[in-house]
Amino acid sequence: MKIKIVSIPVRDQQKALDFYTDVLGFVKKLDVPLSGENRWLTVVSKYEQDGPELLLEPAPNHFEPSKVYQDELMKAGIPYTQFYVDNIQEEFERLTKLGVEFSMKPTDMGTVIAAVFNDTCGNNIQLVEEK
Amino acid sequence: MTYYIQELKRIKRTCFSNKVQVDIAVNTKRYIDTNFDKEISLDLLAHLRFTSKYHLIRVFKKYYGITPRQYLINKRVEKAKIFLKAGKSVSDTCYTIGFESINSFSNLFKTKTGISPSIYRKATFDKSRQ
Repeated sequence: MKIKIVSIPVRDQQKALDFYTDVLGFVKKLDVPLSGENRWLTVVSKYEQDGPELLLEPAPNHFEPSKVYQDELMKAGIPYTQFYVDNIQEEFERLTKLGVEFSMKPTDMGTVIAAVFNDTCGNNIQLVEEK
Repeated sequence: MTYYIQELKRIKRTCFSNKVQVDIAVNTKRYIDTNFDKEISLDLLAHLRFTSKYHLIRVFKKYYGITPRQYLINKRVEKAKIFLKAGKSVSDTCYTIGFESINSFSNLFKTKTGISPSIYRKATFDKSRQ
């Protein structure tokens, strides 16, 4: 078995695509129309374009438990997932200039430095730099 | 303060409060990351951190879950995969990542990945050219 997809629940797929590409710097991989306004929409890291895909999934709009779970994680400040960066301070400054809101600035956590931001689509996301 | 930040503070207090130990582990990892292609012994790593071999192994394993030697092996295999995928020959890859014997490199690679380096190269380099 191989891990090829990581799913992230989003409230608005177009808004998510804009944020994950224009702001975070991911690259769109697949965009396949499904029923209604739903899409099978994935992005990949520009550094690993054949690597794992992030599926921007509108589950909270169609499945109440997914919405509840996402809301509760958000309220508790818990990140839905995390991404790795080479220099978290640079990334923090770049994203802050682009208007991204951080609930936690880069913070030393022993073997890593971590920060948490709002992806504007219902999730907190953690950034990590390995020391 | 969110629940998550409270939890992180608690984790930092309980798991990462000993800065000296964290520094030993982190700096050992960094040394391996930049010198994986050279001869690295446990004696050398311990000497660099002014500590005993036994303490170094304990501390490193506490923060990374594996020993420095296991980390070095993993790092070499990870780099070997990159070189093989880019088309480097098995022998060139072997010497580039710090091995002296193609046999020992091949055996280790197969132990870690399940396939020999030549098959891995065939499967990845050839595939990337299609």
